[in-house]
Amino acid sequence: MSDAWMRYYYPPLFQEPWSHIDTTPRVSLSNGFDNWIKADESIDWHLDGLLQTIQAHEEALLEQGIPAAEAKVSKDVDIVAWRGILSKIMAAPYDFFSDFELNATCFQDTIYLELNHSYKDVVEVNSTQRQQRGMQQAANRHGTSPELMQYWGYKFEALSTLPRPWGECTREEIESRDTDIVNTNVQYCSIVRTGIGKTSLILAGEVDCVLDRKPDDRDKPIPWVELKTSATQTDQSYKALKKWEAKLLRIWAQSFLLGVPKVVVGFRSPVGQLESIQELETQRIPGSVRKGQRSWDGNVCINMTAAFLEFLKESLMGKDGVWRVKMARHSKQISILQVEP
Amino acid sequence: MGVPALFRWLSKKYPKIISPVVEERPEEFDNDDGTKTKVPVDTRKPNPNGEEFDNLYLDMNGIVHPCSHPEDRPPPANEEEMMIAVFEYTDRVVNMVRPRKLLMIAVDGVAPRAKMNQQRSRRFRSAQEAAEKDKATAEFHALQKANGRITDNGDGEETEGPKKTWDSNSITPGTPFMDLLAASLRYWVSYKASTDPAWEKLKVIISDATVPGEGEHKIMNFVRSQRSSPGHDPNTRHVIYGLDADLIMLGIGTHEPHFRVLREDVFANETKPGHCRKCNQPGHMAAECRGTEKKQEEEGVEKPLKPFIWLHVGILREYLAVEMSVPNQPFPFQLERALDDWVFMCFFVGNDFLPHLPSLDIREDGIDTLIAIWRDNIPVMGGYVTKDGHVDLARAQIILDGLAKQEDAIFKRRREGELRKEASAKRRAEQDERRESGKRRRFVKGSDDTPTGFDESVVRRGTRGGIIRGEAAPDINALPTFVPGAAQTKSDPRYTAGLTHADIVGGKANLDKANADNKSAAAALKEKLMGSKKPADEQKAGVDALFANGTANGENGGPAPVLGKRTRDMIDGAADDGALSDPSTPGRNTPNKEIANPMGNGTSGALGGNSKKEEAMPEDTVKLWEEGYQGRYYEQKFHVSPDDYEFRHKVARSYVEGLAWVLLYYFQGCPSWTWYYPYHYAPFAADFQDLDKMKVEFSKGQPFRPYEQLMGVMPAASNHTIPEPFHPLMTEDDSPIKEFYPEEFEVDLNGKKFAWQGVALLPFIDEKRLLDAMATKYPLLSDDENRRNAFGEEALIFSTNHPLYADVAQNFYGKRAGAPKFKLRPEVSEALMGKVSKAESYIPESELVFPLEGSSQDVYTNLDVDGSVTVNYHMPPISGIHKSMLMPGVKFSEPVLDYNDVQMTRERANRSGRSHGG
Ligand SMILES: [Mg+2]
Repeated sequence: MSDAWMRYYYPPLFQEPWSHIDTTPRVSLSNGFDNWIKADESIDWHLDGLLQTIQAHEEALLEQGIPAAEAKVSKDVDIVAWRGILSKIMAAPYDFFSDFELNATCFQDTIYLELNHSYKDVVEVNSTQRQQRGMQQAANRHGTSPELMQYWGYKFEALSTLPRPWGECTREEIESRDTDIVNTNVQYCSIVRTGIGKTSLILAGEVDCVLDRKPDDRDKPIPWVELKTSATQTDQSYKALKKWEAKLLRIWAQSFLLGVPKVVVGFRSPVGQLESIQELETQRIPGSVRKGQRSWDGNVCINMTAAFLEFLKESLMGKDGVWRVKMARHSKQISILQVEP
Repeated sequence: MGVPALFRWLSKKYPKIISPVVEERPEEFDNDDGTKTKVPVDTRKPNPNGEEFDNLYLDMNGIVHPCSHPEDRPPPANEEEMMIAVFEYTDRVVNMVRPRKLLMIAVDGVAPRAKMNQQRSRRFRSAQEAAEKDKATAEFHALQKANGRITDNGDGEETEGPKKTWDSNSITPGTPFMDLLAASLRYWVSYKASTDPAWEKLKVIISDATVPGEGEHKIMNFVRSQRSSPGHDPNTRHVIYGLDADLIMLGIGTHEPHFRVLREDVFANETKPGHCRKCNQPGHMAAECRGTEKKQEEEGVEKPLKPFIWLHVGILREYLAVEMSVPNQPFPFQLERALDDWVFMCFFVGNDFLPHLPSLDIREDGIDTLIAIWRDNIPVMGGYVTKDGHVDLARAQIILDGLAKQEDAIFKRRREGELRKEASAKRRAEQDERRESGKRRRFVKGSDDTPTGFDESVVRRGTRGGIIRGEAAPDINALPTFVPGAAQTKSDPRYTAGLTHADIVGGKANLDKANADNKSAAAALKEKLMGSKKPADEQKAGVDALFANGTANGENGGPAPVLGKRTRDMIDGAADDGALSDPSTPGRNTPNKEIANPMGNGTSGALGGNSKKEEAMPEDTVKLWEEGYQGRYYEQKFHVSPDDYEFRHKVARSYVEGLAWVLLYYFQGCPSWTWYYPYHYAPFAADFQDLDKMKVEFSKGQPFRPYEQLMGVMPAASNHTIPEPFHPLMTEDDSPIKEFYPEEFEVDLNGKKFAWQGVALLPFIDEKRLLDAMATKYPLLSDDENRRNAFGEEALIFSTNHPLYADVAQNFYGKRAGAPKFKLRPEVSEALMGKVSKAESYIPESELVFPLEGSSQDVYTNLDVDGSVTVNYHMPPISGIHKSMLMPGVKFSEPVLDYNDVQMTRERANRSGRSHGG
């Protein structure tokens, strides 16, 4: 959790607007697949893990000489959760396929949210199966495997980040990134205090890298960069554009919640050649959708989330026990009920 | 780096890199009482160029030189006037750019040893020129007086006699003048920060002459230091002002895509024919100009200011992205690396530290020759020639091998061109003679080249509106020292045969000899002034040429060498081709043809304008176009046996060291203060062998102290710039280093037509002997002299209204003042990174004192309270090396080149390669 694990954004290629297709270097995202060191769930996505993460963060702040009162991040906070939970809620108005169940507990005027583990596993399996079916189909078409396609995403992260700021890295370190072994064990979590509507929140989530550096001044926003891969958009059909916008919704919700200002999308060919990259500003994503197929509206997402959080506070604040928050597929309804006294 | 032809070549080949600067000037309103009120421009308003800039860097020597000896107005009367001129020029440049964050003012400090040989050559020539000019002026003045044109009671100031030419050699670190300049600049910046609201947000760094390094390279060090520090904004918009065309190379070398070079558009606002070049009034010539006093009274004669132009590094990057990418190259194209290789190849054709290879001349598109070889060999090399300022010597060998194969053909082609030009000039001369037997043709222009001699000075419109411009008239400081090619030296048999121009410009003794035989220039001028019926302009041309060129006379026939700076008229002559064929446009002439016209006596052979003899150059005994030239070259230039091949390789190895040095100097900062190329001439491409086995290493060493550099570059004639205890070392016979200061020295024209293009054959300074000799004199220096010999710090100055002031006040002047040095917080400093320390000379809320006499103006005065703060500034050290890469987060501008530009550039590049026999 220390800054030693922080990664620094440095793109694998620069696209000058005048650069020509024949001179743009191609990078294969498949390189090093055989040596991939896969993650073994190093982050505990349960509530315990979240609390440990927050605790580690507070200790780090104290170590830096931040006064204890300030370092206590969960003070005066309504809700504490992993970012992933909130992004599911945010996307809910337009996401008719996913479903989720959350457990909610109130402790000392703060509500803690986590996925209902038993349900989560089921959902995960379902969604993984669904995802893998899709990937398998795509993979079959191009002679790749779902695992390889998953690797491309990690490989893109490895190709786009540095272990230290650019100025401190040698050219060799930067240019040898393609041969570096991809290790998905290491992740960096960011913890932010944020507010949506009248609700104050602590959110924690994985961040990919930072642009330039973390400002010395703790009040300044951190220029995080979220890295994503996507197949190069060749199909301009309505359906394809809608699909891309749906992806943008997930990207936007994730980045918005942690205050990640920039998303970098690496576009790849069907066989995993990195062809181009595009830098998106998070705050401009809803606008681009509004100008596009209008398949979602960021304001609706935010307002709905604010309303939901209000409702959650009203329902649970000061109450004991464990509560369940449920959204079923195609239901457009979120319900809350008590599961343990 | 002054490579005069480079700017012209760049703007011709890449026309869209240039665009005009939009400038707002202060407005003047008439008051009722007859006075005028000047309303300054509010530079807080948006920049009229449609874009804002963050940082402006001033290569200050490009302001001080033109202000000290302006081309288009009388020189300042005293040092105060000169400083005011500097202030006003600087103010104008700052107002044009309106930097929103930072202004850096960099004056040349002591230079690396590699540069000193060139500086020495320039200063020796400059002193010689000044002496000759003073002599002519004195004679002219005496003559005027004798004629009763100047009377003692008429014009009071004239009774004191003519002023001596101000010695521009004073613009060298360690002189009293530079000390005054440093104080004046600090005053001016504090004054502006205190009084101009637009400066409240500006941070100003002054790197004066006490900080070692050339101005533009100190600027590059700064840019690199910022770039390698976290917190740097990769979209910072930089502008650098300066005269040297190679600032554009330095700009490329920063790998910052938003970078512009700013310079004066020297070819705008030509002087009207028949008007004085200095005050723009009709009726007299520049040499007779009595200054500006009367100018104000007459309406409409004030010369408009010359406009400025931008050179866009970003657009050059677009061109080079096309030109430097090779179809199907076997390794990934990386623009940043290719750009570095391009800069490297430009060095071969000209730089301040090495003579260029004989087969590469910018006027013959030498850079294109190299680019073609480079493109052809991309598959063989398998990678770029340079990396972050380091040369891959094996790949450099491949490029040089490619050039060696063409070398013989290049020399032959050059010879053919010269012969063709001579023939056509001769033909035209004969035609002229037939057509108008009495009248002389004023202009000679080669059929396929620019007007002979001064070249590079053309303003034309490209087909699609791009402006094609030429090189500025270089101040003496921007002239090339090293221009080899064909060759003659003293060992040349011809030199024993009689007096040649090399002798003429070579020294006083020779001059005296020449003048004994021929009328002295001043005497000739006298004759002219008393008896001439020629139009005033011709007089003007003659006098200007005379003053610019010294009182040279010779007897060998042929064109006159022009020593020293090229005059405005030479530029004009070249600037407008139309004028060349229009004999009714006087004043636009080429002094090399006209130089002796006013002397009109026909007695002087070499310079006699009467001579209609074709301009035969003295015979070139190296004959690069004939077999065996290498042997002759080494024999005559280096005085070694024609078959001493090991010597040739030794020269070539030194040259390679030089290339490596220059590249590092440009991309990483000075790799060695002490290294220099120890020859006056370059080797041939064929002399480079086994470079891949070479290892080039430099030891950093120490820069010279200011006085050591002064003693290393000044002629005895400029000893007023040096503390007196050192003077005997230059002049006394028992001085152990007297031979470093010859009063006479050869200028080897080396195949060129003009002395300023030739090679000054000055002895190289032996560092140890120089320092040993000086050591005996150091104890005799006064405290003040010792102070001027010390190294100084860079100063950071800003308004007390700047948010940064709170940090400084708290750290240095508060109740709980902290460490004597603190790190700037980029959040407060707007990403200026580095440390600052307390400047002992600065006292908060004290008076701001005008450091000059202060009589001639009432704008710059003392201020009761200095509204600025001054601290010492320390750039952040660069961790590792500066990488030639773009930075994350960079946003590119919209492309400027259209489809046609791209296609044309690509086709031209493809055509130039081996497969097309280019
Ligand atoms: Mg300079």
